[in-house]
Amino acid sequence: MKKLLSLLLALTMLLGVVPALAEEQEPVSLTLWTFQEPHTQFFEKMLDLYNEQTEGPKIVLDMQVYPYEEMHNKLTIALQSGEGAPDITDIEINMFANYLKGDIQLEPLNDIVEPIADHLVMSRFENYAKDGNYYGIDHHIGATVAFYNTEILEQAGVDYKDIKTWDDFREAGKKVLEATGKPITTWESNDCWSIYPLVNQHGGDWLTEDNEVRMDEQVVIDTLQFMHDMQFVDGTVQPAPGGWHHTEEYYGWMNGGGAAAVVMPFWYAARFLNYMPDLAGVMKVAPMPLWSDGGHKTAQMGGTGTAVVKTSEHLELAKDFLSYAKLSFEGNIQSWRILGNDPILLDVYGTDELNAPNQFFDFFGDDMFEVVESLLDDVPNTCLTDAYPSAADVVKSQMAYELVIAGTDPAEIAKNCAQELRDMIE
Amino acid sequence: MIHSSEVRGRNKRWNRAQRFLCAPKVVPYVFVAPFILVFLLIYLYPTISTILMSFQRIDGPNISEFIGLKNYRKLFSRNYFMALSTTANYTLWNVLILVPVPLLFALMIHSKLLKWPNFFKSILFIPSLTSIIVAGIVFRLAFGSLDTSLANKVLGMLGLPARSWLMNSGTGNFVLIALTLWRWLGVNIVYFYSGLQSVPQELYEAAEIDGATAMQRFFSVTLPSIRPVLIYVITLCILGGFSMFTESVALWQQNNPGGVGRTIVGYMYMMGFYKNDMGMASAIGLTLLVLVLAANVLQLTAMGFFRKED
Amino acid sequence: MKRTNRIGGRKNLVKTILLTTFMIISVIIVMLPFYFMFLSSLKPGTEILRKGLSFTYDPGVSSFGNYNSLMTYRDGIYWHWYKSSAIIMLLQTVLGLFFASAVGYGLAMYRFKGRGVVFALVLILMMIPFEILLLPLYRSLIRMKMTNTYFGVVLPYLVPPFMVFFFRQYVMGLPRELLEAGRIDGCTDYGVFFKIMMPIMIPAFGAMAILSAMNSWNNLLWPLIVLNSNEKFTIPIGMGTTITPYGNAYDVLMPGAVMAVVPIVIVYLFCQKAFMTGLTAGSVKG
Repeated sequence: MKKLLSLLLALTMLLGVVPALAEEQEPVSLTLWTFQEPHTQFFEKMLDLYNEQTEGPKIVLDMQVYPYEEMHNKLTIALQSGEGAPDITDIEINMFANYLKGDIQLEPLNDIVEPIADHLVMSRFENYAKDGNYYGIDHHIGATVAFYNTEILEQAGVDYKDIKTWDDFREAGKKVLEATGKPITTWESNDCWSIYPLVNQHGGDWLTEDNEVRMDEQVVIDTLQFMHDMQFVDGTVQPAPGGWHHTEEYYGWMNGGGAAAVVMPFWYAARFLNYMPDLAGVMKVAPMPLWSDGGHKTAQMGGTGTAVVKTSEHLELAKDFLSYAKLSFEGNIQSWRILGNDPILLDVYGTDELNAPNQFFDFFGDDMFEVVESLLDDVPNTCLTDAYPSAADVVKSQMAYELVIAGTDPAEIAKNCAQELRDMIE
Repeated sequence: MIHSSEVRGRNKRWNRAQRFLCAPKVVPYVFVAPFILVFLLIYLYPTISTILMSFQRIDGPNISEFIGLKNYRKLFSRNYFMALSTTANYTLWNVLILVPVPLLFALMIHSKLLKWPNFFKSILFIPSLTSIIVAGIVFRLAFGSLDTSLANKVLGMLGLPARSWLMNSGTGNFVLIALTLWRWLGVNIVYFYSGLQSVPQELYEAAEIDGATAMQRFFSVTLPSIRPVLIYVITLCILGGFSMFTESVALWQQNNPGGVGRTIVGYMYMMGFYKNDMGMASAIGLTLLVLVLAANVLQLTAMGFFRKED
Repeated sequence: MKRTNRIGGRKNLVKTILLTTFMIISVIIVMLPFYFMFLSSLKPGTEILRKGLSFTYDPGVSSFGNYNSLMTYRDGIYWHWYKSSAIIMLLQTVLGLFFASAVGYGLAMYRFKGRGVVFALVLILMMIPFEILLLPLYRSLIRMKMTNTYFGVVLPYLVPPFMVFFFRQYVMGLPRELLEAGRIDGCTDYGVFFKIMMPIMIPAFGAMAILSAMNSWNNLLWPLIVLNSNEKFTIPIGMGTTITPYGNAYDVLMPGAVMAVVPIVIVYLFCQKAFMTGLTAGSVKG
């Protein structure tokens, strides 16, 4: 009996001690899903830095890379069946609204975002917000800029720095065509990276916060008309080979000096490095041309929001790590160095850390961030409601095609697409 | 220690079980039992659940709302019919090409005149094992929109103007069928070849002695003998045509210009996952099931499948 | 099976040459994409984009370097994918062949009450788009506690309906008298199936083994939903991660795709030989 008692005593003591020990020493395992393998390199780096300096529990990050589409399917299924979801996950911007429907399974991040809101490009956070709650943190701003092939422009006697407005751009297109026979740029026929930035910069969008369709507004028609005229009246633009700016055919063609310019978000710089290496030293980054009748300096496009899933057993820790990885000064510098992103933290701009030499500056010259800095005071919001996936679908499969391939009258395109979208939303 | 009576008892029970299992009335059910079990344990619940979901709006793990026929009413939109026509068109060509061509190849491989038949059979099967992603890259480059793409160079040599192959439905479907033929030729050869192997050699010899020409032998001996396999392949071609998705993704990556190449399954996939509308996706899937069933029943009836059964 | 020209002669020789030439040309056309894949796997990724579709070997930029980097890619994870794919393929093929052949045989050889219903269910199951079953199927799997297991991946394919259908069709073409003959010899019905019918069904087993292996090897959707850890992923899942809408890792993609095909083709050639000998053995017995 005595023995048993002492055993019990020892056991209770042990039970009391073990959790205390665990709190201090046991590292906590968090699961993270992504569809971009390079992101694991970034998170790995940030994890090392986090564990080095944290006083709380250390983290072991179990990172799983899935194919793009399938990761989102799997996340949807895991969230809807209430089991198997990760603690932290990347969600692509086009898909994000899907996870903000009904009973939201993501954790609001307001307590880590709001205290430093003044230091952040907040229009980036609106993409992942609903009813005043922020659910995702992006890897970049995705400010749309113009990439110019200076070699082609020089042959036509055009200095890319003189292109200030879209009218300048159009005139330059005529000179380029005359001198070289090449198009100044390309429009995507299968995707939205040509139409959406231009419309959004012009002050237009597809939807309002209340899911009212804006596709047939005058600003959309005007933008489409401009694009139509450059392609079909001037003949200075051609459809992107392969259909959009991420195809093997386009890369090869552009790499061989296919067109004089491409207007894409800042993160597209990494595509030049990886897929169009012959343009090193030739390509320059410049602000997007401006509309003479108003609008904004740029448009923020694309992105991946990292979110914390509600069912996580370590919500606070997951948030703490996410905050460190993506909102800290160090995290934003690493995001640029490892991933080639334009950081969302305003504090990093103009610092030596950001402008330290790297492969991007070697490729494009060292004024890349001067360009981004000049845009930061005027980054318009995009309206990504739960009807946005439908809008994106209409733009991709109908609007772009009718504009660039079929050559339909822009007013008619806008009317048809708006109708189509309204039918979808109902 | 085991008592002998126990052994006897066990043997008796075993014998009784054996006799039961071997009873003529029981035997067929034992053979089909695995399927019935799998159906009841694995597929019954998902099937019922899918039918229910098609009448629901699903907003989260535990939130769903019955909305009656709304999914079905919303379903028949312009996009749906466009996808349907793409799919139907593809299925038709699938049957017209992917039945006779592999049959011809299988006959050649089976014929005693061909050298190295096993080598050819194996090589032709390789595409079905090849990564469809990479195959997509190759086909996209070969049928690119630039003048320098392989297909446009061929057109150029023939004095024809270059085309944007994947940007309109006529040429787009052509490329889709080309990719399908490339990928599935070897598979259908395997089916037909196994059928040809089961044709008794004596039948051919008898026909040969009767002085039948090759053509006559094919129609009077080969075709009737491989009829069950033929029915199988056609059924699978119709099914494969209606449920095609991978090949379309390989060529367009779901960026279907003007809806070119978007199939019913592609549309369903987009609704279910891109737009997170599982209820709608279920409704689309079920209409697809009905269509495929109807098409196959029609084909099977036409081929006298049900007549032969009883 | 001997493949000699029994009836020799000039006419047949001409036919042989024509037929073989036609076949060689077809095989070359069919192999072109694969050839491109192989050449590309030897080049840096940028080279593929620079040159586009090129069928010439370029010694200047070609090397087996990509294969080396594939082996070390993410700490040699490719071998884990390989192993998973192989295990699942083996499991799925062996179980599927066994069960489906029995069911198909039962449906074709016997007349029994409910046969029509069972066969109709086989056809319906074959035609249901698998994509819409994903969510409820996954829910069932959770309840059975089989997520992240290989068996969970195989579970829905234990009795593949397309195989049942094929075996049924195949057995329909076989002489039914064999069953009676076997019974008279004192075999049970199961004995007849295992000892008499199975050898005759070898061509069908051969075809179905190859196709089941192919289906399993290429399967992406379901394994991806079931499996939760990098090490358990299969080759299609792993290869899929090198593709994103924001750019592909060609350096890994190309050698990975080549490596995925080569061994299974060797297995195929080997199987074919085994099946051929099995076939002759079977025909002697039958």
